Amino acid sequence: MINYEANISSYETISTLGQCFEGMAVVHLSKHIKSGTLVAVKRFNMDRIKQEAHLVEREIILTRQLQHPNIITYYVAFVHLQEVCVVSPLMAFGSCRDLLNTHFNDGFPEAAIVLILRDVLDALEYIHKKGFIHRSVRAGHILISATGKAYLSGLRYACPIVFNGRWQKQIHSFPASTARNLNWLSPELLEQNLQGYNQKSDIYSVGMVICELANGAEPFAGVATTLMLTEKVRGCVPELLDCTTIPTDENSDCHGDCDISNTVVSRRFSDDLHELATLCLQKEAIIRPTASQLLTHPIFKLTKKPLFLPDLLKPAMPLSSRVAAHIDEVTNLDVAQQFADMELYSCEWDF
Amino acid sequence: MPLFGKSQKSPTDIVKALKEAVNSLEKGDKKAEKAQEDVSKNLVLIKNMLYGTSDAEPQTDIIVAQLAQELYNSNLLLLLIQNLHRIDFEGKKDVAQVFNNILRRQIGTRSPTVEYICTKPEILFTLMTGYELQEIALNCGTMLRECARYEALAKIMLYSDDFYHFFRYVEVSTFDIASDAFSTFKELLTRHKILCADFLEVNYDKVFSHYQRLLNSENYVTRRQSLKLLGELLLDRHNFTVMTRYISNPDNLKLMMNMLKERSRNIQFEAFHVFKVFVANPNKPKPILDILLRNQDKLVDFLMKFHTDRAEDEQFNDEKAYLIRQIKELRPMPGH
Repeated sequence: MINYEANISSYETISTLGQCFEGMAVVHLSKHIKSGTLVAVKRFNMDRIKQEAHLVEREIILTRQLQHPNIITYYVAFVHLQEVCVVSPLMAFGSCRDLLNTHFNDGFPEAAIVLILRDVLDALEYIHKKGFIHRSVRAGHILISATGKAYLSGLRYACPIVFNGRWQKQIHSFPASTARNLNWLSPELLEQNLQGYNQKSDIYSVGMVICELANGAEPFAGVATTLMLTEKVRGCVPELLDCTTIPTDENSDCHGDCDISNTVVSRRFSDDLHELATLCLQKEAIIRPTASQLLTHPIFKLTKKPLFLPDLLKPAMPLSSRVAAHIDEVTNLDVAQQFADMELYSCEWDF
Repeated sequence: MPLFGKSQKSPTDIVKALKEAVNSLEKGDKKAEKAQEDVSKNLVLIKNMLYGTSDAEPQTDIIVAQLAQELYNSNLLLLLIQNLHRIDFEGKKDVAQVFNNILRRQIGTRSPTVEYICTKPEILFTLMTGYELQEIALNCGTMLRECARYEALAKIMLYSDDFYHFFRYVEVSTFDIASDAFSTFKELLTRHKILCADFLEVNYDKVFSHYQRLLNSENYVTRRQSLKLLGELLLDRHNFTVMTRYISNPDNLKLMMNMLKERSRNIQFEAFHVFKVFVANPNKPKPILDILLRNQDKLVDFLMKFHTDRAEDEQFNDEKAYLIRQIKELRPMPGH
């Protein structure tokens, strides 16, 4: 076990990976000097953070209280000057959102989706059992390690189901600073009515994530928030784009305005995957399956074959192996910056 | 509730089994692994009795009452907390959940668990020293804050020597533990207004000499949080006596004036809210008045330029304008 010191001088910054928390935090790729291990150091500029300071605190404390192989963890968190620094394992493939942006504009192959999904559902099953609702499940909050394991992050939006000494049947609180997550949230959460919502709300978001991972685009991208809400309340949801869902016959002459690529039109996702998305996106929370129930779905039986996610993610490469080759050359941070810009973290990296 | 299926173990059996398992864990004998398993298992059973689960209701009041009685009689709560660091990761959280639920128990207007803990204050002291141990600090924190909701328990903690350890805990290098300790510290100093005011009055010198160190801490977060809390404490009308005493000390005024000029904007802003109390005081002692007079022009200049980008914050701007007017109008005391 490596001892990660609560001191910034123990870490050497190699490059900047990206920003998060609306630009109030920056993520550095750093080397833990003593062990030579590459780590991610997320630095919150607390002097720019005002009311949201408690979110930083909450995320760090909640993460410390969860222990699961598919939930992002951190080694140590400490204060340096005006920053709170959080040292965590490096997620060498970045987030699923990054991967979709850089290498998989039309979505991942089904085998990759299934592997990622199983890890995410494992994490959610644990989170729900421990009495929390995640409330921000989306591709940007799913990080992939060098070995191809998926980790759920973004815990600052989570809320407890257990409070006032009771396991609450419904939650009514609306998450703070959640604008970026709205498109993935369930209709019952967004409606904010007396019925409230429960952990099934996360399952709806999983459905959105299945579509996001399969299609490449964010759900309801470019749709006005009010329209998005109306659509969800009416039960309209995205679906997996393939030859079964894109009508080809009568639109065969639309070459010009159709920007759907041929690979999308000709591919075919399995009936199981279609079914999984539909199950998750059911409007009535009560009939949506739980995370545990979803894990028994036949689609996950197939993944017992030893498929290796990094193979499926090619040509995307994990950060560490490329950086390791360059590590001695990268002395100038500006060079490192350009280098990082070509990397996966162009969008945002949320833990 | 299932009519068939697994037979329900009685609270007596579960408490007995749990106690045996914790004892064996404490001894650390060969059976430790088995003991760990038994501890976890029985804790989950108790937790589910109290909370229910996503698909089962909590147990009836009679069963819960029995369970609570067994917990008191067996002294198991203290034993669990004393051995918390030996219990596995999930078990630690279960202990906290069980404890917090039992603590909230009510019979009419009585809180039997609170009464019980009053007779066993070691429970509170053990929880407070929990901040010394990284692996149980956060678990102890959730239990402590739950205890702090009850005035009788908050009083025991405030008036104990262990309370002063908080001044160290809130500054430890690991951010999560320091900020958790600070939440507990703040809860203890603000929750029960009259109790807190009395405590601060009686222990003014001791508390504020410790508090001074927090305000001068090298840790930015500690400094910011403690400054903010100081502002809240001084502006709470219950703490009028404490405030009067605080704003009569010229050293305190100097500290705040220095903090107004700190590099960090958040610190400046929080310092402003303490500084304003010195200026607004209608009966300024001479040493305070002298400092303000010596800096009269500089302060007016400074405040005119202070956080001018907060145009949307009406209250702040009103207060700033008021301070500027007050400082401009300051005159030396007659007869001096």
